[in-house]
Amino acid sequence: MISVLSYGRLVARAVLGGLSQTDSRDYSLVTASCGFGKDFRKGILKKGMCYGDDACFIARHRSADVLGVADGVGGWRDYGVDPSQFSATLMKTCERLVKEGRFVPSNPVGILTMGYYELLQNKVPLLGSSTACIVVLDRQRHQLHTANLGDSGFLVVRGGEVVHRSDEQQHYFNTPFQLSIAPPGAEGAVLSDRPEAADSSSFDVQLGDIILTATDGLFDNMPDYMILQELKKLKNTNYESIQQTARSIAEQAHELAYDPNYMSPFAQFACDNGLNVRGGKPDDITVLLSIVAEYTD
Amino acid sequence: MLTLLSMFYYICLRRRSRSGTRGEVLNSRRAVESGQRALPLSVEVEQYVKEVLDFSSHYGSENSMSYTMWNLAGLPNVYPSSGDFTQTAVFRVYGTWWEQCSSAPQPFRRTPQSFYSQDYIEVAFEEPVYPTALEVLETYNPGGIVQILACSLNPFSQNPPVDIRWEVLWAGEPTKALNPQARQFSPSIKQINFATNLIRLEVNSSLLEYYTELDAVILRGVKERPVLALYKMPMIDISDLSDGEEDKEAELALRCRQTGNGKHNMGNGYFDKLPYELIQLIISHLTLPDLCRLAQTCKLLQQHCCDPLQYIQLSLQPYWARLSDASLGHLQKRCSLIQRLNLSWTGNRGALTLTGFCSFIRACGQGLVCLELSCCHFLTESCLETISQTCTGLQELNLSSSDRLRPHAFSHIAKLTQLRRLVLYRTKVEQTSILSILTFCTELRHLNLGSCVMIEDYDTVASMLGARCPSLRSLDLWRCKNLTERGLADLVAGCRFLEELDLGWCSTLQSSSGCFQNLARKLPRLRKLFLTANRTVCDTDVEELANNCFALQHLDILGTRMVSSASLWKLLRSCPQLLLLDVSFCSQIDARTVQDLASHFPRVAIKKSFTQ
Repeated sequence: MISVLSYGRLVARAVLGGLSQTDSRDYSLVTASCGFGKDFRKGILKKGMCYGDDACFIARHRSADVLGVADGVGGWRDYGVDPSQFSATLMKTCERLVKEGRFVPSNPVGILTMGYYELLQNKVPLLGSSTACIVVLDRQRHQLHTANLGDSGFLVVRGGEVVHRSDEQQHYFNTPFQLSIAPPGAEGAVLSDRPEAADSSSFDVQLGDIILTATDGLFDNMPDYMILQELKKLKNTNYESIQQTARSIAEQAHELAYDPNYMSPFAQFACDNGLNVRGGKPDDITVLLSIVAEYTD
Repeated sequence: MLTLLSMFYYICLRRRSRSGTRGEVLNSRRAVESGQRALPLSVEVEQYVKEVLDFSSHYGSENSMSYTMWNLAGLPNVYPSSGDFTQTAVFRVYGTWWEQCSSAPQPFRRTPQSFYSQDYIEVAFEEPVYPTALEVLETYNPGGIVQILACSLNPFSQNPPVDIRWEVLWAGEPTKALNPQARQFSPSIKQINFATNLIRLEVNSSLLEYYTELDAVILRGVKERPVLALYKMPMIDISDLSDGEEDKEAELALRCRQTGNGKHNMGNGYFDKLPYELIQLIISHLTLPDLCRLAQTCKLLQQHCCDPLQYIQLSLQPYWARLSDASLGHLQKRCSLIQRLNLSWTGNRGALTLTGFCSFIRACGQGLVCLELSCCHFLTESCLETISQTCTGLQELNLSSSDRLRPHAFSHIAKLTQLRRLVLYRTKVEQTSILSILTFCTELRHLNLGSCVMIEDYDTVASMLGARCPSLRSLDLWRCKNLTERGLADLVAGCRFLEELDLGWCSTLQSSSGCFQNLARKLPRLRKLFLTANRTVCDTDVEELANNCFALQHLDILGTRMVSSASLWKLLRSCPQLLLLDVSFCSQIDARTVQDLASHFPRVAIKKSFTQ
């Protein structure tokens, strides 16, 4: 009797001690990036972390790990504006905001708002537009805060299943919500959404959760089950395995994009809306793959 | 036996310790002889700026990280690249363009020739060290730094000492670096005898082609007090000897001794033959410390040096590090006729209190015409109240960057109805105060509301200006966030004598409303127009300026995509007095065009900044 009680007490203490130990340790994101620009510029890091007109960043500060992706709207090219300038500058600005601690982890929309405001403070007259998706891990509270404007987005995978995902924000077909700076006089003709229009969400994360942040180049070409198949192959939490998996996901999406007979999610959605199309969607692809792990210095 | 053993051990231990010391002494003596350090007595610590504490001005917006002073903190973002980057610290002005404007204050007499500083920034590091080297990474138009000072106060300590000392680590003249590329500025600094983690840089950009930009400051020092013999002896400068700290304190705290002159008149030789006015004229060329030293020589010269006629203009800005309540108190007796007073940069960190300042103003301020109080963080509402009650004839008031003043304190300024020049750059003045000032101060000629973020509706302010201040000559509305064509129209309709107008970074002004064309037509006397970063400025606007504003001297149209070279040619032909044209980041104006324009119009300084 007494031994059972004492045994029970030991077990209880061990379990509770184990739990509280996990609770008090900080989490962190181990992140790898990979991508391909649309015109076969294979993963050339133009200004650091740019794939075609897409851009991304990975940054950390004392209290949080932050990721971001931005998909530059390609239509600007017809007007003589380089679409990658806007997305790259936006991501670099958000990265600097994070590194200097000018943000609150629970308010990722604030990062977008301030980043967009800083773009307007640049002497250089920037033009262009892009979607944006920001993911913040609050290390101590073990919470993920996200903000998404447009059709980029993220997936959270736990135990081989998608437990959270972002919603696409579209005005109409193939016209996502976007942050933009228009030439003067054209403000009426150019779609410009306010950063505050971004969707935000917050939820708890656990050790081992996989977070996939990507632009629509991935999601429009690879349905969830294929992504999950690739993620099942991820066994370790070290950087090299994550990098390998990210690369394989991006490469597969890149191949599927140029397959004319494949029924991609993009083609499926088009068919649902009355457009009879088939095949992948050639686009810039950016993939940021992260795993929630324990924080090590 | 035991005592023998203990004695034995004692002697051995003593011998060992003594030989150790002897070894060190030998070592250090060898080191002195060889002129090098044999052993590093302390490890050199390298630090980057932890926090930017104070500064006089900056180019960027108040809550932004683009071109603002806070970028000086931390590791460098840009160096070794050169160019105009958002991640650097940039001051508000450069060159002599602002000094040429009529809104510039008259220089004060008696400014020492060695005082060049126009702007400053104070930065704090984590650990106090005895500095051995200081490096400033300048990434654009280097050469502006004229003085580096170190403070004995640790700004992060909980119990600040009463006695705060500033020591000059290095001083130089303003220069323009021969090579405009980014550089690491590392002057040889003086050894000081206290540990410091608070450094102040003073800057003068008057020789520079464009804005200077700083990326980072690196402080190298040792934690323990260095033994001077092991370092190269610093060159002893003659001026160092005469500019002793203690001397200055004594001089500025000198009391006018009121002794009975008649009894001990020894005769002053030839000085008695010189007219009083002539001696006054001669000593009017002395700087203030020299004047105080001269007063100590003899009674006659003391009488001359304490004559209130010598203190009609008084600039204490060069002596900001040493001014205290006591100094002001001692100067009080001499300043009964004072008309122009410059206390900019003084009194911070407790050196001046509101009682000291207010008693000085009450005693001497009745005749004040010009009062410069830039970056005076000790100012409170009661100081402004005292000024408004005492200095009823005040015509010029400068409160720029005095950011501790609460928004409602500024309503006292409305009582100064003779005001002609009012500078409120980077203050917290709010809507009701400024409107009441404009209602009563109808003589205003020069008004600076740059970066006044607490004013909500600039259209109302502009309309009020147009209605109440017809004599307005210059108006600075730099970064005024919500001025539209409505307010601008009211302003230019009412203030017909406007010569200078700074509308830089006012993004809500749209050229399509015709506001700039209207401005050009209504202001033929316009000499300075800044439309910095207004992306809507177009060819029509520039052509209207060419058609109407023949007196134009300074024009800034940075960052517009809509201006072509044709309208610039027209402008330069029509405005023969043009001296400054800033076309940085105008995408239709390339370097070739700038070269062509510059060769045809050599008098005009055409600025085209670049980034990477």
